[in-house]
Amino acid sequence: MVEDSAAKRVHIIQGEWKVIDDPNVVLSTILGSCVAACIRDPNAGVGGMNHFLLPGSAVPGAGGGDATRYGVHLMELLINGLLKKGARRDRLEAKIFGGAKTIATFSNVGEQNAAFATQFLRDEGIRVVGSSTGGDHGRKLEFWPVSGRARQYPLTGAETQKTVALERRPVPVSKPVESSIEFF
Amino acid sequence: MSIAEKIKVLIVDDQVTSRLLLSDALTQLGFKQITAAGDGVQGMKVMEQQPHHLVISDFNMPNMDGLGLLQAVRTNPNTKKAAFIILTAQGDRALVQKAAQLGANNVLAKPFTIEKMKAAIEAVFGALK
Repeated sequence: MVEDSAAKRVHIIQGEWKVIDDPNVVLSTILGSCVAACIRDPNAGVGGMNHFLLPGSAVPGAGGGDATRYGVHLMELLINGLLKKGARRDRLEAKIFGGAKTIATFSNVGEQNAAFATQFLRDEGIRVVGSSTGGDHGRKLEFWPVSGRARQYPLTGAETQKTVALERRPVPVSKPVESSIEFF
Repeated sequence: MSIAEKIKVLIVDDQVTSRLLLSDALTQLGFKQITAAGDGVQGMKVMEQQPHHLVISDFNMPNMDGLGLLQAVRTNPNTKKAAFIILTAQGDRALVQKAAQLGANNVLAKPFTIEKMKAAIEAVFGALK
């Protein structure tokens, strides 16, 4: 088991993803209504995490709105990153965290985010080996991508409200392909 | 019959969810003849059996990636005239240049909106309706 004192900590914020093959690295994030998917290939010794919030309805196949495409995009970036580092799609396994239902949101955005992640992984044939979603409190999450170990701490009510308020701020849109090439 | 209804589209992506979303977006734009494949090798098989007018392919795929498929489509006399749009999850300038060199008609960054997809297709075929 990796001792915390020896671990290099990499924090992930909303809209980000990271892939790591160093056993001394621990990925951390803070989740309110947001969801983080932790995916790894145990044989290749590589894993990673993303962190997303999909506003509004975000269930694949139910209209396929822009929110869904954004979630699929962050899942795809993480999976592509894993495959580039030697992971194989058929060996991938996932843990899902987050999606709290909080008073501040007055909605089930968190639940929809967790449902999106679960359905995405099911459709893609990626095994879910653990999950902790929903509930009234946010979470502080730590994930060791190489070993697959995950640890979470519940946030207090005040911390949860603060986290949800931060999550609801606009997220920078991912950069489009830069192109000065004329196709036509 | 609208232009979109006449165009046979092949979508190529290794992610089931992306294929569903793409197919959904194309249906909303009025396309009726949509075939899907899971990688470049499968995509080329479909094209050899029945050439499609438009290929919309992801870049990053196992077995044969989007650029490999583009090259294969352009070198086969039966498929070389197909319009080809590459989708990319990473904003990579080198990829855009390579795609243009190999004869791609357009490159579209993910996550795309339906409006952007429409614009990318209309840049090749003209107004869809």
